[in-house]
Amino acid sequence: MSSMSFQEKSAWGTLASLLVIGALYFSSVVNLWRAEQLHMGAMFGLSVGFTVLLVVILVGFHIIVAAISGTENEDERDRLIAWRSGHIGGFVLGFGVVSIVLMIIGSGMVGATFWQTPVIIANALMVAIFVSTVVELALTIWFHRRGI
Amino acid sequence: MPRGITNRVRELRQAGAGMTQQQLAEKVGVSRQTIIAIESGRYSPSLEVALKIARAFDQPADAVFALTEKP
Repeated sequence: MSSMSFQEKSAWGTLASLLVIGALYFSSVVNLWRAEQLHMGAMFGLSVGFTVLLVVILVGFHIIVAAISGTENEDERDRLIAWRSGHIGGFVLGFGVVSIVLMIIGSGMVGATFWQTPVIIANALMVAIFVSTVVELALTIWFHRRGI
Repeated sequence: MPRGITNRVRELRQAGAGMTQQQLAEKVGVSRQTIIAIESGRYSPSLEVALKIARAFDQPADAVFALTEKP
């Protein structure tokens, strides 16, 4: 039997998938921006496409894991780890969003236009969500491996 | 163990007729991975789970879990 709980396996698979899909998504965004092709239509296509791809990968992964090793009900340790890693991930997300808001306000006050562009703001928020989710998943794995 | 607590869970589990981690987990109502984490000192169970573990071994709680002395 595995020494990893279903929650830990789920965290590993989700983290790996998110890192790969995230790298592909943000590199696509950067390439479009450099080619001055980054507009809302392109953003919509990228966002929907990569979201669908991520969902398909994650559903497939969880089905395979559940079929091989079965699922378990969460116990108190799983709930504590989920709460603590989510709590810290929430702080990271909050820091990211507040930083973005300050950048928008600050750039507006000095007349800079970079942070006034909707596609830039949208992608900055995506970065904040991405980083906070990566932190939460990494902490979930850390707490399972090293203790909580 | 986190927060200065030691335990004799593995010792008591393997004593006598022996009990597997899965059997203890089912008796207590947690996962086998949680029993592994408790035995290896990576997790300190709640009071409820600690009492259930002690009951599974027919021992008082302080015979299973103990606070470590601070240096």
